[in-house]
Amino acid sequence: MDTSWLLHALNLAYELSTLALTTLGLAVVFGLLGVMNMAHGEFVMLGAYAVVTVQAWGWPIATAMPLAIVVCGLLGWVVERWLIRPLYARPFDTLLATWGLAMVLRKLVEAIYGRGYRNVESSLATPVTLAGLQYPGYRLALIAFAVLLMLGLAFWYRRSVMGLRVRAMTGNPMLAQALGIDTRRLASQTFVIGVVLAGAAGVLLAPLVRIEPGIGVDYLLDAFFVLVVGGLGTLGGFAGGVGVIGGSQSLVSSIAGQTSGYAVVLILSILFLWLKPNGLLGRR
Amino acid sequence: MDSLDAVEHTPGAALRRPARRWRLPGSEALWLGAALVVLPFASNDFFAYQIALFLIYGIATQGVALCWGRLGFLPLGHALFFGLGAYLAGGTLKAAQQQPLWYLALPLALLLPAVVAYVTARLVFARSHRSGPFFSLITLAMTMLGFLAAQQWSAVTGGFNGMADIPELPGTERYSSFYWVVAACAVGSTALLGLVLRRPLGMLWSAVAQNEDRLQLFGYATDRIKAFAFGFSALLAAAAGALFALHQGIVTPLTMGFVLSTEFVIWAAVGGKASPLGALLGAVFIGYASSELRDHFAYWEVAVGAIFIVVVRFLPEGLAGLGRPLWRRGPAAAPGVPATDAPARHAPDARIGLAFEQVHAAQGGVRILDGLSLALDGPGLRCVIGPNGAGKTSAFNVMTGRLPLRSGRILLDGADISGATAWRVARRGVGRKLQIPSVFSELSVSQNLDVALWAGRLGPAASLARAPLGWRSPLRDELLDLFPALREQLATRAGSLSQGHRQALEFVMTVLPQPRLVLLDEPCAGLSPAETHHMIDAIKTVIDRLGAAALVIEHDISAVAAIGGDVYVLHQGRLLAQGTLAEIQGDPAVRAVYAGARK
Repeated sequence: MDTSWLLHALNLAYELSTLALTTLGLAVVFGLLGVMNMAHGEFVMLGAYAVVTVQAWGWPIATAMPLAIVVCGLLGWVVERWLIRPLYARPFDTLLATWGLAMVLRKLVEAIYGRGYRNVESSLATPVTLAGLQYPGYRLALIAFAVLLMLGLAFWYRRSVMGLRVRAMTGNPMLAQALGIDTRRLASQTFVIGVVLAGAAGVLLAPLVRIEPGIGVDYLLDAFFVLVVGGLGTLGGFAGGVGVIGGSQSLVSSIAGQTSGYAVVLILSILFLWLKPNGLLGRR
Repeated sequence: MDSLDAVEHTPGAALRRPARRWRLPGSEALWLGAALVVLPFASNDFFAYQIALFLIYGIATQGVALCWGRLGFLPLGHALFFGLGAYLAGGTLKAAQQQPLWYLALPLALLLPAVVAYVTARLVFARSHRSGPFFSLITLAMTMLGFLAAQQWSAVTGGFNGMADIPELPGTERYSSFYWVVAACAVGSTALLGLVLRRPLGMLWSAVAQNEDRLQLFGYATDRIKAFAFGFSALLAAAAGALFALHQGIVTPLTMGFVLSTEFVIWAAVGGKASPLGALLGAVFIGYASSELRDHFAYWEVAVGAIFIVVVRFLPEGLAGLGRPLWRRGPAAAPGVPATDAPARHAPDARIGLAFEQVHAAQGGVRILDGLSLALDGPGLRCVIGPNGAGKTSAFNVMTGRLPLRSGRILLDGADISGATAWRVARRGVGRKLQIPSVFSELSVSQNLDVALWAGRLGPAASLARAPLGWRSPLRDELLDLFPALREQLATRAGSLSQGHRQALEFVMTVLPQPRLVLLDEPCAGLSPAETHHMIDAIKTVIDRLGAAALVIEHDISAVAAIGGDVYVLHQGRLLAQGTLAEIQGDPAVRAVYAGARK
């Protein structure tokens, strides 16, 4: 039986899932708060290094997730409170400040762990047989997790009280404040959620990627492309952006190589900024 | 809408008057030149060779500082142009060893990166003037792509090992006399930037960063101004790259990489992004210190990152800002420029006509304009009234490209201007004054007037000449006679004017380009009764003098009566009534709206 179509479909689903996971954090922070978090990729990197750390300490690998959540959450809270909150009125300076933060995190990790690549050993690569096809079980689990996370987040955003408050805050911060919503606290929580999502994505991807201090930029740029194409602040736009960027990147890369794939995605983003500045389904 | 609210909240702004302080004589470039001449004699050739590398980086950093400190957008991937210049110049020089005709292609090594930069910036800035962060990330992505391409395309670039064996510049010695070429280029770029910043173009660059909306409403194509500046900064980076190829003899993918791009930004920030000399010295000092200390202290680069954050947070002008009193900074008034008559504007003589046809506009799911139709024909004053949320300001916004049009048409002199950008509409002779007075707050009153006077008159060549700094027009003198308070404060920073004077300044600026249709949004807001009276008189005089048509949004019915002319009543995004004030006041529908009888 010819299973190559299934393999292609699974590979595509896997690439879209990883892209969605690493973008989600920035979609929350940039899409909802309007803060262009240039250190987004560095939080993903920290998540990956959490796995490296627990392995070096000889802890069970499952402890990486709580460690990453605690580290990223604390760091996110501190950064929001001391770096971003004073600059909300100067959006361009938040970009610069988080850019500086990215640099500090990158260099700090470099100073502690060294410049070289790290690999995480894991027994998670056990293949599973699916309709006559051997496919790594961890990848399948990741795809399922990404789908569940998206659905959960959509449900949270649409149905929960906090989601409602966040929507009120992004719609009209002044009015939200007048209605008794503590937008300062809410913004802080939203930021923390965004960076924790980034860190968690880093933990999940750690067994699959090469880990080095400089990987953050790639995650930042991929996430940025998705948001440019999809538009800010809507789940439909997010899904559309992931589809367009992930789809075209993996298609062109498989035909003409990684550089061409990257070039196509970059050109797509420039064209979107030129012709459709609000993206496929932007809020504004 | 947010960026239209150019309100200033700078306490103490009035205190920062341009005080006469002790200053170093001569220009920055002269002092730099003197220091660079002394350097090789005070040290040795090898030290000068090392410093030359950071002077080269400094020239590229000046390009970053120009975009960031002057125009307000940050290129995060400037190493792309540095690297492109280096590869192109290196390849050309190698080819020229076999065939000397290749030397003729050397200018292309600088022009090609500049063209790439210009085209990218035009595309990114064309549609949204708020695409600052997006622009930064696009340039970052471009440098990442450049790095990948340089590594993979090894047939041309030599791949990871780089393009080696680049010959020396004929007539120079790499480790000794080439220093003088680099030093001359560094002095030259500093002098050139200093010169351009003092010319009209430099003032327009500052104006872009301060209030891009206002510039567009004067008819300046700000996306082109920004793209040109970015192209120019890429030219500087490419020139620096070419020097780098000659200096090092080898070009590797790292020259167009992410790390070098980041360093340009740090050097510009720490040295001072608004000052060409500051940016250059930032690169020399921080760059040299890093190269010496990087290997000794593991946390040196962490410290540099931390310094960057501190500078961004607390010291926006960098170290040059601390030394600011020593040198004249920014587009200072050019005292010696003789006053000359500005060239006349040739306005079409056709009778002005404006028509809204069933215009619909919506934002965030709220219908703002709901089939607005109104027509205006010939010169004279008209008022637009209506309750809050009637769509008065939105009617102006949809006309000047600030609010997207859902359906319907807007005709100006019979030509369809629906969806046109603000500057295109302005070039058709439409002047607009915003509700919250919007001026260039860091420029002086007289510089504000210059920028308005240049609108539609300043060609590309004139923008680099000195003469426009002294341009006067009869209208300018008449307007200053009408507002003597402005004449007295010509040297004052516009941001420290009182609300009333700021309203007056923006009105004067709006009419200085001699528009044929003037849109005034609550020109008397925040004025005292006496000032209101004065303003209305001035509006009537000026509109009559220009033979223009004007639409005035006004809430105060006594002001409406004083202005005279027809009145348009807007309600819920539609035209409710039109006629003389007496007719309007007698209209039962209008009375119902204002008395709140029915919605």
